[in-house]
Amino acid sequence: MTDIATRGTRVVATTGGRSRHNGGGPRAGTIAAFLIPFFLPFVLFYLVPIAYAIGQSFLVVRRTGGQYGTSYTTFGGFDQYVQVFQNTEFWSSIGRIGLFGIVQVPVMLFVALIMALLLDTPLLKLKAFFRIAAFMPYAVPGVIAAIMWSFLYSPQLSPVVDLLKAIGLQPDFLGPGAVLWSAANVSTWLWTGYNMLIMFSALQAIPQELYEAAKLDGASNWAIAWKIKVPIIAPSIILTTVFSIIGTLQLYAEPAVLRQISSNISSTFTPNMLAYAVASGNNYQQAAAISVVIAVITFVLSFGFMRLTSKRAGL
Amino acid sequence: MSNTATRIRIAGAVVAAAASIAGLAACSSPAPSGDAAAAAPAAACEPAKGNVTLQYWNTVPGMDQVVALWNKNNPNIQVEMKNISNDQYGTIGNALKAGKAPELAQVGYDELPDLRTQNAFVDASACADATAAKSKFVPWTWSQTSFGDTGVFAFPQDTGPMALYVRSDIFKKHDLEIPKTWDEYAADAQKLHDADPNLSITFFDPNNAEWFNGLLWQNNAEMYGYAGDKWHVTVESDQSKQVAEYWQKLIDAKLVRTDLAHGSTPMYAAYQKNQIATYVGAAWGYSMFRDNLPDQSGKWTIVPMPTWGSSAASGDWGGSTVAFMKGNTHLYESVKFNSWLNTDPEALALENKLGGLYPAATAGSALPALAEGVPYYNNEKIFDVFADSSKNIDTSFTWGPTQKTVNLALQDALAKATAGDGKLADALTAAQAAALKSMQDQAIPAVAGN
Repeated sequence: MTDIATRGTRVVATTGGRSRHNGGGPRAGTIAAFLIPFFLPFVLFYLVPIAYAIGQSFLVVRRTGGQYGTSYTTFGGFDQYVQVFQNTEFWSSIGRIGLFGIVQVPVMLFVALIMALLLDTPLLKLKAFFRIAAFMPYAVPGVIAAIMWSFLYSPQLSPVVDLLKAIGLQPDFLGPGAVLWSAANVSTWLWTGYNMLIMFSALQAIPQELYEAAKLDGASNWAIAWKIKVPIIAPSIILTTVFSIIGTLQLYAEPAVLRQISSNISSTFTPNMLAYAVASGNNYQQAAAISVVIAVITFVLSFGFMRLTSKRAGL
Repeated sequence: MSNTATRIRIAGAVVAAAASIAGLAACSSPAPSGDAAAAAPAAACEPAKGNVTLQYWNTVPGMDQVVALWNKNNPNIQVEMKNISNDQYGTIGNALKAGKAPELAQVGYDELPDLRTQNAFVDASACADATAAKSKFVPWTWSQTSFGDTGVFAFPQDTGPMALYVRSDIFKKHDLEIPKTWDEYAADAQKLHDADPNLSITFFDPNNAEWFNGLLWQNNAEMYGYAGDKWHVTVESDQSKQVAEYWQKLIDAKLVRTDLAHGSTPMYAAYQKNQIATYVGAAWGYSMFRDNLPDQSGKWTIVPMPTWGSSAASGDWGGSTVAFMKGNTHLYESVKFNSWLNTDPEALALENKLGGLYPAATAGSALPALAEGVPYYNNEKIFDVFADSSKNIDTSFTWGPTQKTVNLALQDALAKATAGDGKLADALTAAQAAALKSMQDQAIPAVAGN
């Protein structure tokens, strides 16, 4: 809101003398007309549910009378939060997702970066085809992708497993150790193209003169890629990292689908799955507290990462 | 984005959060007064003056055709149905919270106490037809829906009495007798495995608490009791441990598969490839095999579940009731429709044909579809086996008020055990702890043990 207000003032300042508008009336109306379609749903479907969840997280259930009784809720202070912090399942889900993120996010973004750089070289033919092909998986809904991969992982159905067995390997993609990485593979497949596209569009915005100058100075294609292109698109790389951190903490669809065929994914495998399991047991207050804690962790990690990198990169 | 703008935005969010915390008093629901806290009295049962429209939510395939049949013959009591199979309990739970529950909704037996704890039902016992319906249903089902004859909260609809599905061709090939006890079953498992290491007698799906609970039920492993104003949690008992330790032995000896999820494509593929010789299943499973493995027609037979001792005992796996939901002001009409839906031969036959339901009404066994032999099963009268099974189900078994949470905890721990981390019996300890913790969270007084 403040962003827009500031820009608005700037516009008035630069065009002030020639402006045909007198006073703020019609301008305020115009601003409101443009903003309401955004702010009304934003408030209704974003801020209100958040406030409701925060409210719920400070309640506890009490009950009166009999074997089944009648329940009511009352203010319980930080009770629910104390329980979240004491919940070992919660922390192991965070740990699991942390491990997932530390490995999967760098791998995915590195692959995306290489693909973006390749697409940006004049050497590559059939660019449009490769661009679309790399982006295709993103067009597949996450649940469908996970179902498709689950068929490729299942020893009963998978041609990949049959092939590996034929050459003497005994793969167990759904085993207790491997299943986390099988889920990571689905996420990587889904999101690499999307991240590549963000980086690629940043590359496209770099003026060609820079490359010409570099070539005149005798820079190789390799040097141009790593010394010019990558530093210039650093903000895009940071942006995709932040998106990926958020996505990782909210991981749900891939493991939830793989859970249908592998008992090595528990009902509390990721923080979001835990929150869902708790909510399905009618403990909405505890689920709200878990959600708030996940949101705070996401907030701290993504803003922390932005701060850290923006200082380093001098942005 | 400038730093200042960010800070202002964060500040705004914090203010909004603080405001919402300040508004908490308004958020929390007040404690009920003394009168309301007492058990709700049975609602009155008066016929409505004019025409009535009832809402009925369910997950049964083809139920719309059953409802259409009722609507055609009962212009004064029209029923509007909604299929909620996407998220059955989520939809019901949200509707209850919003005060917009339907008059009637499908609820599984194991979810009845859970929903009752959330005050989801009305007692229809003021309707003479409701209390009289008791004689029309298999005894154990009525004890579940009446909560041990303390009211009429639902009518039983279908059941899942358990039995053993056997590939008679595989048993014949390996010269095996059909097992009558679990000991004989384990011995057969060993013989099959010795004859062919790729052949297992069955699979153990750790992520299927409902199935495991059926096994516990068969062994009279009562999970809950109520006495002295408290729930008594006995998920971990000698009987339940006996079941867990039995399956642990089979798993340790690699006689049963643990890598197949019930109802999944890989499970059917394993059966299709003749890798599994039996299926410990429920009545509704007969159509699963018939429809998914058509080439195995004539190879299956259905026999009573193996027993622990010499006396016949069975368990139930699945099945549902049609419950009278909170806010129902048309109990008279609801009872009329509900009893037609679940006891009328025409309705039962249609539900069996379209939805594969195995009726809870005693009249069900007289249905032509259930009295005749089934072609897929060598024209054997398989439903006689299920009818006998149903008669041998313990009527005092009680589900817990937080069963869903307990089932999830049980599954997670069973899965750990099948992955080599701990034993199946540890899962009972985990489920027992989850039961006590979740009941504490819901402020339900509970203690461990009898």
